[in-house]
Amino acid sequence: MSAISIKNLSKVFPIPFRRERIVAVRNLSLEVQPGQVYGLLGPNGSGKSTTMKIVLGLVTPSAGSTQIFGRDSRMVESREEVGFLPENPYFYKFLTGQETLHFFGKICGLHGAKLRDRASELLALVGLENARDRRLSGYSKGMLQRIGLAQALILQPRLLVLDEPTAGVDPAGSRQIRDLIVDFKNRGITVLFCSHLLGQVQQICDRVGILHEGVLVREGRLDELISIDNQTELTLENATPEVLAQIHSLLASSNARIIKERQPQSTLEDYFLDVTSPKK
Amino acid sequence: MTPTSTLYADAPARHVFFSPARIWAIATNTLLDLIRQKVFYFLLIFAVLAIGISPFINQFNFQDQFQFLKDMCLGAMSIFTWLLSVLATAMLLPKDIEDRTLYTILAKPVPRFEYLLGKFLGIMLLLFISLLLMSVIFVITLYGREQFALADTMRYYANAPADVLQAQLKSIHDASFTISLIPGILIIFVKGSIFASLTLLISTFASSMIFTIMVSVACNFIGHLQAIARDVWLSPGTAGPLARSFLALVALVFPDLQLFNLVDDIVAGNTISLILFTKTAALGALYTCIYLLLAYFIFAAKEL
Amino acid sequence: MDTTAQPDDLLLETAPLTRRRWFRLTMVFVFLLIFGAIRVPMEVELNKEHRAAFFHGAKLDMSLRQQIGQMSFLAALGGFRAVVADGLFIMAHVDWQNTQWGKMLFLYNNVTALQPRNVMFWDTAAWQMAYNASAYYLNDPREPHMALRLKRQHEYFLIGEDFLKRGIANNPDHFKLYESLGMVYRDKLFDHYNASLQFKSAAQFPDSPTYEVRFAAYELSYSPGHEHEAYDELVRLYKMGEKEWLPTLLKRIKDLQEQLNIPANQRINIPENELPPHH
Repeated sequence: MSAISIKNLSKVFPIPFRRERIVAVRNLSLEVQPGQVYGLLGPNGSGKSTTMKIVLGLVTPSAGSTQIFGRDSRMVESREEVGFLPENPYFYKFLTGQETLHFFGKICGLHGAKLRDRASELLALVGLENARDRRLSGYSKGMLQRIGLAQALILQPRLLVLDEPTAGVDPAGSRQIRDLIVDFKNRGITVLFCSHLLGQVQQICDRVGILHEGVLVREGRLDELISIDNQTELTLENATPEVLAQIHSLLASSNARIIKERQPQSTLEDYFLDVTSPKK
Repeated sequence: MTPTSTLYADAPARHVFFSPARIWAIATNTLLDLIRQKVFYFLLIFAVLAIGISPFINQFNFQDQFQFLKDMCLGAMSIFTWLLSVLATAMLLPKDIEDRTLYTILAKPVPRFEYLLGKFLGIMLLLFISLLLMSVIFVITLYGREQFALADTMRYYANAPADVLQAQLKSIHDASFTISLIPGILIIFVKGSIFASLTLLISTFASSMIFTIMVSVACNFIGHLQAIARDVWLSPGTAGPLARSFLALVALVFPDLQLFNLVDDIVAGNTISLILFTKTAALGALYTCIYLLLAYFIFAAKEL
Repeated sequence: MDTTAQPDDLLLETAPLTRRRWFRLTMVFVFLLIFGAIRVPMEVELNKEHRAAFFHGAKLDMSLRQQIGQMSFLAALGGFRAVVADGLFIMAHVDWQNTQWGKMLFLYNNVTALQPRNVMFWDTAAWQMAYNASAYYLNDPREPHMALRLKRQHEYFLIGEDFLKRGIANNPDHFKLYESLGMVYRDKLFDHYNASLQFKSAAQFPDSPTYEVRFAAYELSYSPGHEHEAYDELVRLYKMGEKEWLPTLLKRIKDLQEQLNIPANQRINIPENELPPHH
């Protein structure tokens, strides 16, 4: 059974008082298997948010269907197995971090000691224990994202839907969130996320789908999609100039040719984090 | 901290179709939001009104003083309750939609009707607590004045026969807080609930908070005139057919709010029987339920 | 995003009919009409029951609106009726200190229109007119002719009487206005029979003072043609015991015994020292 099953999904929004309509999603079909990290990509206005909202049952489709673990998205019960982290997290700013988790836990049916323990664990997981009694109006963007992740996990979901989880977050926070997502994947949680930060998507996704003007234009395993077919990348360590000369001469006698030869670089992100991390 | 992590357990809990606990969580959250917006500061204004009227009425005899005090306090309670019910409800849905907190809640297994009911219950809690606190201030103010009046009367009638003194003391007690005022206060609550549910209905399809408030105020106004419209419509020969059709429309669509304006007569000394009170309150409850159902009908199909 | 969507075969209708906003709003309107048809009879019935219990007696009509002004009228409509009435009542009190009787009359008419169930308003208005205004005009230094002064005084007696009658019409369930009307008949209009009727009405209420029934008997005894009836009533009261043996009662019995030539063996013996002084 797929974690998410989208079949022939279309969504049309009428414009009030005008005859034209906006086609947000056009005949979209895709499957997300359990345990995968799936990246849904696309330019602004491509239909990503609409698709996610339909999967979560917040918007009704004009045609087609979406299912979560075999249950129709329009059923309230289907949302028991989903945790949602919205873009620009939408929470009650007058609540503290702990109160937020308690509130969402209560509306999910948790109470008493079980709720308190779960909330404490989640706060520890996302690193917000020291801010548990501070109101969300005093949280930074990264903290809001993290409390958002915590409330998404409150019901022990098998599926997480994340909308721009690292948008506007500094590199350290971004790295933390990315590491959490990898941790979720290792525990078997399916993750669907949208992001404009293609570098991050590349680092953690198994499969991607690219939406453009409401249509799924490309879809598949990441490594298959972006690998350049006829090229091979070798990274050598401790190669002496003699070894390099041997490789050059070997290649000269074949059809292959060297396109690029240089010293590999660390990423700017790693360099930045290394420079700015607190000294141990 | 439990020894084993509860984060990644196996089977999720069974979904409960109707959960009072969920509704209560939303209701208390709504109330908390309003409290942290410092809505209860209006009680200070109420207290000032209750106490500040004193210099203006000291020249009158005690019966008159109690009359003025009761009129002022109950009138203020009526107006404040109405204001709260309209303003607090008008911002419930627009705020959640604008802040997008609605998404986060409905992305959980929370049915829309529970969300709506929870929000409404939060407002009811607010109205109940506000009325209770205002009643307490009211009773304390009356009690203070009553004690003063009793002491004054005892001094004045110190040498009078016992039964004359008792009659005077009794008349002061009777002019002060009496049980008959309680139905009046309860009807204020019923009227507030009608307004809250009506405002909630309007907010499900209104485009902005200001629009919601304006329509709700207009409904208040029309509702107070509905009885006149109804009487003219139902009595033959008083108006032409076009006018009568219009009046019929008004009578059918709008509630008769004059039926819930009982506190003025109650404070003048009119008592209401338990049966009549129950019938009136039941009609108010019916209005509230109908408006809530209609609000859900529209909200259920609302595109978020 | 494609904003000018043509109806191609991928493109379907928007939401089904039943989910469209305008459809639902229309259904709500229709439902309100149907609900209205069901509830209007209930409202009419409840309104009748309210009026039978003396609610909604206030006359908030156009003439009142013209007299008290737009703001006060709106306040009265909106739930501040009692406060507006109190405000006008206080204004009348101030006018009293300036002997502005015409203005007071105007204000009291509005006060009682706004709060017809407030017995004290009717009572105060009547008292001001029948006792205070009338006395003022009896002694009005600007009017040299006694006859005209008396006429004016009498007019204000009648205004007071009118207030009380209207007050009773609105508050037939309270003893006070009957009593006050009885006093106006007794003290100002010298209409003893009507005074007696009013005191008798007042006496019917369980919370009325005990003197009402005695006052009724006294006034009846002064009404020509009703002396026998009054005498029987006074004797009935006398027989109720010593607490009824007030000087006035005893004097009226004695006087009536003389006036009606009651046979000596049927008379009640009333010692001189029980009578009021200077009889």
